[in-house]
Amino acid sequence: MSESMVCRSGVELLMDYFEGTLPADVRSRLDRHVAGCPRCQAFVASYRATPQILREATVASLPGELEASLLRFLRDNR
Amino acid sequence: MDVPGREASDEELAARAAAGDDPAFESLVRRYQARVYRLACRMTGAERDAPDVVQEAFLQAYRGLARFRGESKFSTWLYRIATNAALMLRRSHARSPTEPLEEYLPEFDGDGRHRSSAADIGLATRADELIDRKHLAASAHAAIERLPDLYREPFVLRDLEEMDTAEVAQVLGLEPATVRQRVHRARLMLRGYLNHLVAVKS
Repeated sequence: MSESMVCRSGVELLMDYFEGTLPADVRSRLDRHVAGCPRCQAFVASYRATPQILREATVASLPGELEASLLRFLRDNR
Repeated sequence: MDVPGREASDEELAARAAAGDDPAFESLVRRYQARVYRLACRMTGAERDAPDVVQEAFLQAYRGLARFRGESKFSTWLYRIATNAALMLRRSHARSPTEPLEEYLPEFDGDGRHRSSAADIGLATRADELIDRKHLAASAHAAIERLPDLYREPFVLRDLEEMDTAEVAQVLGLEPATVRQRVHRARLMLRGYLNHLVAVKS
C-alpha cells in the first residue's frame, strides 16, 4: 500500500480498525488521514453511531403472555 | 446437584435436560426466551413472526439436546438454532423481493475522495434525535429486512445482539474475517440509509 491514503481505502479499513485487527503501520496511516479529513471524521462518527442507533430502535420486549404460551406449547409438543 | 446460593450454569441445565429433567429445560427457556424473542424480531423484521420463531427454536433445541455436546457455549448453540429458525420462516413466507440497499453505499470521486460534504456525510449520527421513535423503529426494521441474508445475519448478531466476532463466526460457521467483511458492508449500507432518512426528513 502506498504511503498516502484516500477516503475510499480508509473507509474499507474501518471495521478492522475498530476490531483492533489492523497492523500498526496501517492504523497510524488511517489515523493521519482522518485527522486531516473532515469528511472522513464525519464518516467515522456516523459509521460508529449506526449500530447503536439501530440497536436502540429495534429493542423488543417479550410480550407477557408469550412465556406461558411457550411453555404450554413445549409441554404439548415434547 | 444444586449448590445453595449458586445458579446452575447453562451447560449444567442442558446436561440435566438432556437426561430427561424437563424443569431444567424450562429454566433454560425462562433464561433465554427474551433474548431469543428479541433476536427473532430483528431477524424477521416483524414482531408478528417472532413468537413462531421462538417456539420453533426452543422445540428444536429440546429435541436436539442429545446432540449438544458442550463444544460451544449453550447460548452459541441456541443462537444458531434460532437464527436458522428465523431464516426458515423468512423463506416459507416467500417475501416479495425488496429493493437492495446498495444505493446507500458511500460515493467517492475519481480520486477516491468522499463526494458529499462533511455535513451531509454526518447526518446519520443524528437520526435518533431528528426522527421520531416510531418512525425510526419501523424504518430500522424495514432496512434490516432489505439486507441480503448474507449480511443480515452477521450484522444482527454482531451489532444488534452485541456478540463478539469470534462467537458470531461460530454461530454462522464462518471465518471471523468473513464476518467482519459482511458486518462492515451492512454497516456501510445502513449508515447511508440512516443518512437518507434524515436528509428526507429535513
